[in-house]
Amino acid sequence: MTHIRRGALLAALGALTLASFGRVQAEESQFGYVYTTDLLPKGAKELEQWATWRHQKIGGYFDQIDARTEFEYGLADNLQTAIYANYAWSRAYHNGPFGATTPPEPFSYDIPGPDDHYHATRFVGVSGEIIYRVLSPYTDALGVAFYEEPTVGPGFYELETKLILQKNFLDDRLIFAFNYTYAPELRYVSDTAGGSKSWQEETDTNAYFAGSFRFRANWSAGFEFLNEREYNSYNFSHATNSGFFLGPSFHYGGKKFFVTATFLEQLPWAGTHADTVPGAISGGRDYDNDFEKYRVRIKVGSYL
Amino acid sequence: MNSTLWLWLPVAAISTSAYAATYFTTEQAQQAIFPGKMMTAAFVALSDAQAKQIEKTTGVNVRTREVKAWKVEGGGVFVLDEVVGKHEFITYAVGINEDGRVAGVEIVDYRESYGYEVRNAEWRAQFIGKSSGDPLQLTQDVRNVSGATLSCKHVTGGVKRVLATYAVALK
Repeated sequence: MTHIRRGALLAALGALTLASFGRVQAEESQFGYVYTTDLLPKGAKELEQWATWRHQKIGGYFDQIDARTEFEYGLADNLQTAIYANYAWSRAYHNGPFGATTPPEPFSYDIPGPDDHYHATRFVGVSGEIIYRVLSPYTDALGVAFYEEPTVGPGFYELETKLILQKNFLDDRLIFAFNYTYAPELRYVSDTAGGSKSWQEETDTNAYFAGSFRFRANWSAGFEFLNEREYNSYNFSHATNSGFFLGPSFHYGGKKFFVTATFLEQLPWAGTHADTVPGAISGGRDYDNDFEKYRVRIKVGSYL
Repeated sequence: MNSTLWLWLPVAAISTSAYAATYFTTEQAQQAIFPGKMMTAAFVALSDAQAKQIEKTTGVNVRTREVKAWKVEGGGVFVLDEVVGKHEFITYAVGINEDGRVAGVEIVDYRESYGYEVRNAEWRAQFIGKSSGDPLQLTQDVRNVSGATLSCKHVTGGVKRVLATYAVALK
């Protein structure tokens, strides 16, 4: 916990340092989950803080907060890079299959007893990000961009690749965006308490869709629809989980900062797959790994 | 939950400034485009048919029917207009000579935090001499400023709409 606090303080000091130079240019996150093809102009800088609250699994109690502190920089007008730190906190009790206390995926290194009151904080890893825009929604029929994000953390590696599409209407006030993500992971974990650890393969594939309308100056409102799938392989075999989420999204974009908030509820559309953990699906919802009933994501960004 | 308060600590460190400004009053913009000329207000409310005709010929949305126009002493028209910016509206002015060609474009009020390159004199000079017969398409006959694409696109569309409005309702 101490080193996490120190990391946050360093991030804050970094923000102060970065805020002291550079003219104001920016591009903000229009949605909580869905990326658009809008990028920072060349030389522009932005600092973002994310927090995602995940709430409620099968029973008992479950809460998780994923946080991200991110610095973005425009390498060119169509090429943006970023670096960020990911860290998380969670508490759980009787939340998993058959009423067992089950930590969420970022804490899968821990194996508490089935009746333990679990809580932990963890530094997940450091990520880099690069987005290259091929076509602009303002000058081409469709905005198209490609995204690459490697993450390295303690006992954890991930490479996330994303296709981003964007189409605008009504003087660019109505925005639709679609993302498809392929993210293979490698995690060094044990399946049993005290058991030997091994590197385990997993792949997340996500199909996200969102729409938003700027209904007055600075303010936009819309929706986000997510389908997240997980496999115990890199080639789409051994499917484990699939969840669908839907909810409203709100965005304020001002001269100095922006705030984006998205509220999601998992829809009761989950089904059993080849490697689904027994008891992970309840009431038509998947509660394994990264799946829960409710999510709230808030992003705050500042133009440096 | 107190242990999670540190998650927001970096936000507390954020310090910002903004790049937004009012560059001209209406009178100053009038004199910048038509120096020494007297102006007479000649506001117009477009009819449904006129608005449809403008949208049809330009492909640009007529967001408001009220046209803030001034007749220029000796011929010509000055129009004060707004287009959609990233967050707020961009207020700009177009001067049109008696022959229907652009005399000048000025950015009057720019409230956005970026994309301010549309105010560059060199970029705005591209519009001088344009008429409603010109394509006025970004990246075609109007150069884009990379990093200010949305503002360039909307100001270009706005000038095109103002020229069509002149032909339909202000001549």
